[in-house]
Amino acid sequence: MTTFLRQLTSLTTHFIRVELANLERLLSPILFSTTILILFFFAFSPMDQEVFVKVYIAQTFLSMFFALQIGFARIFEPDDQDDAFTLLRTYKPIPEAWFLSKYIVITLFGVLVISSTMGLSIFFNQSINISVASWSVFLVAILALLGIAALGLLLSAMMLKADAKQILYPLLYFPLTTPVLLAAVQCSQEILINNMSLSELLSSWLGLLLVFDAIYIILSTLLFGELVKSE
Amino acid sequence: MRESKDILAGLIGLVLVFIGWWYAFSFTPVDAQQGAVYRIIYIHVPAAASALGLCSLGLLVTSIWGLLKPSEKILQASRSWVEVGLIFTTITLLTGSIWGKSTWGTWWTWDARLTTTFLLAILLLAYLLLYNSLRQGKQRIRICSVLGILICVDVPIIYKSVSWWRTLHQPSSIIEQGGRTMDPAMYNALLLNIFLIAIFSTLLWMIRFKNLRLHDQMTQDSFEGVS
Repeated sequence: MTTFLRQLTSLTTHFIRVELANLERLLSPILFSTTILILFFFAFSPMDQEVFVKVYIAQTFLSMFFALQIGFARIFEPDDQDDAFTLLRTYKPIPEAWFLSKYIVITLFGVLVISSTMGLSIFFNQSINISVASWSVFLVAILALLGIAALGLLLSAMMLKADAKQILYPLLYFPLTTPVLLAAVQCSQEILINNMSLSELLSSWLGLLLVFDAIYIILSTLLFGELVKSE
Repeated sequence: MRESKDILAGLIGLVLVFIGWWYAFSFTPVDAQQGAVYRIIYIHVPAAASALGLCSLGLLVTSIWGLLKPSEKILQASRSWVEVGLIFTTITLLTGSIWGKSTWGTWWTWDARLTTTFLLAILLLAYLLLYNSLRQGKQRIRICSVLGILICVDVPIIYKSVSWWRTLHQPSSIIEQGGRTMDPAMYNALLLNIFLIAIFSTLLWMIRFKNLRLHDQMTQDSFEGVS
């Protein structure tokens, strides 16, 4: 247990340093989500107030979803460049510690993407007299992130040896994350349109979101070790 | 000799499927609301049951097995289930589309079950693409097994999508709480067809599995011949 925690702490610190050393890797998904948001606003404005909330949720979640995919797909790039996979054959970390450290880093990065996308989306919507700023929706987005980050990380590890990873990654990422995204969007609609609370949603969409989070986190933690085993 | 056995197995499977359809078309009443067009369920539902039930179960079992005891043989068993599953998922989507045109008035709508079934077809196709983009070895077996397990997670969503989302697709009328809503003659014909298509799927899987093994053997022999 001590070895596990020691490895988890040192790997997490190392991965955060690596990400911070390459700020363009951190900033490019945020810029990408901003660009998509601008395109959405330009395409949909002016908007009927009735459909406004639905469009706001769709455009915010889709922008985050696309931007996160870029971040997830590149999470093993530094390890690949530094020949970490070859070096790890001689000193193997506990796979779960390796997975969780990457997971912590990618979740922190995801929180940054979500905060900036939601902040910008709220800012761009100031001209319409409907308040869309909600901590509950932010929490739902974070819960969605927990599930798709685990899956995104697992898929990224799967794609390390694939020839056509640029095509295959989105082909697997989008269909597999659909249940989480659908549950998050439906939860947000219930919160913003029907003024439902999170506790009320626990028996329906929020419950489904949590179930999928649990499935993806557990499966990814268990299966990651299989993917980084040597031949 | 081996080839003629496979052809015979395939023909037996086809004959069984036609017997099932002949029974369903001859001995079941016409639906009061939908007329004769409802009979497409004798192709649509068994194909869906085969894709979501048998093939998914086969994929799940072989994928878990592939992780526990990685071997090329077990990977080919998984791949065969994916291919058979893809065939039956495509049949499900096509027959559903034809049925949709006559009952809902449209070939396609973004209904929850249609969307999730379509996503399953994409995932099965992606499995085959991933399989082809990886080099032979234990790593490929592990990666494909992990993906196989992830795909199987999608199956309960497709099954429950009709009750989770308010959709156009009719709710389950075979396995239902509070009794069946189906005429007994229709129900028996449907069960017979599900059973026969399951046999046909298994035969298809066996033939495809043998073909893949043979292909693997030939590739290995040709490499040994060169070296």
